Amino acid sequence: MNIHPAGAASTRSFARPVLESRAIRVAESAPDRESAIHRCADVLEEIGAVHPAYREAMLDREWAMSTHLGEGIAIPHGLDASRLLVRRDSLAVLRFPDGVGWDGGRVFVCVAIAARGDGHLALLAALAAILLDPDRARALREATDPAEIVRMLNSVEDEP
Amino acid sequence: MIRTVRLGSAAGLHMRAAAQVAAAAAEQRVPVTVRCGEHAPVPADSVLGLLTLGVAYGCELTLEASGAGAVDALARLADLLSRELDVARA
Repeated sequence: MNIHPAGAASTRSFARPVLESRAIRVAESAPDRESAIHRCADVLEEIGAVHPAYREAMLDREWAMSTHLGEGIAIPHGLDASRLLVRRDSLAVLRFPDGVGWDGGRVFVCVAIAARGDGHLALLAALAAILLDPDRARALREATDPAEIVRMLNSVEDEP
Repeated sequence: MIRTVRLGSAAGLHMRAAAQVAAAAAEQRVPVTVRCGEHAPVPADSVLGLLTLGVAYGCELTLEASGAGAVDALARLADLLSRELDVARA
């Protein structure tokens, strides 16, 4: 499926997925990676961001290649073909204080992504920049105030 | 030695695509850097570094390397970046 035909790059414009405080859960627990992905899908559904079938796409994507980006942060998301199941470009943040075993590593924060277009590239760029800075990565892992998490992930839009 | 290439992946240089490029870069005999627009160059073998560039489909990338093996390294990475790296589309 080719949703974005070649040559349309310059005319495409997609807003960055938005993080609202109601999509943040700071005291989650999950026995394993699959359960954690289900919780991520639960929250994306609760806020009306995705069709229920997006859950399967998130699991398929996770088994194709771990979404653990590094520094204990994972970014569960769907596959390219599941873009049509996204109703509203959104993020959800789930914090697992005790950690979740994740393909040999350990994940403490999931930034679940529901995105139809290129908007998530800017988000990924911002998140990667945070993870390359150990102090900011730790701040993101340890943040318990939803307002603070919203600020960290939404304010980065202005960075180059 | 410098080489430019336009990103061929329709969904942009997202995590899976970046992981493929970083793995290929790690196999080269010389380090390669990638630059896009005003952003400072990043090591091609770093997934996080590549992601910070936020490269969309069709964006021009500048690859740089030097020393023995640079020609092959740039050819390999330019080829990869110019292709559709999303298996579902290929």
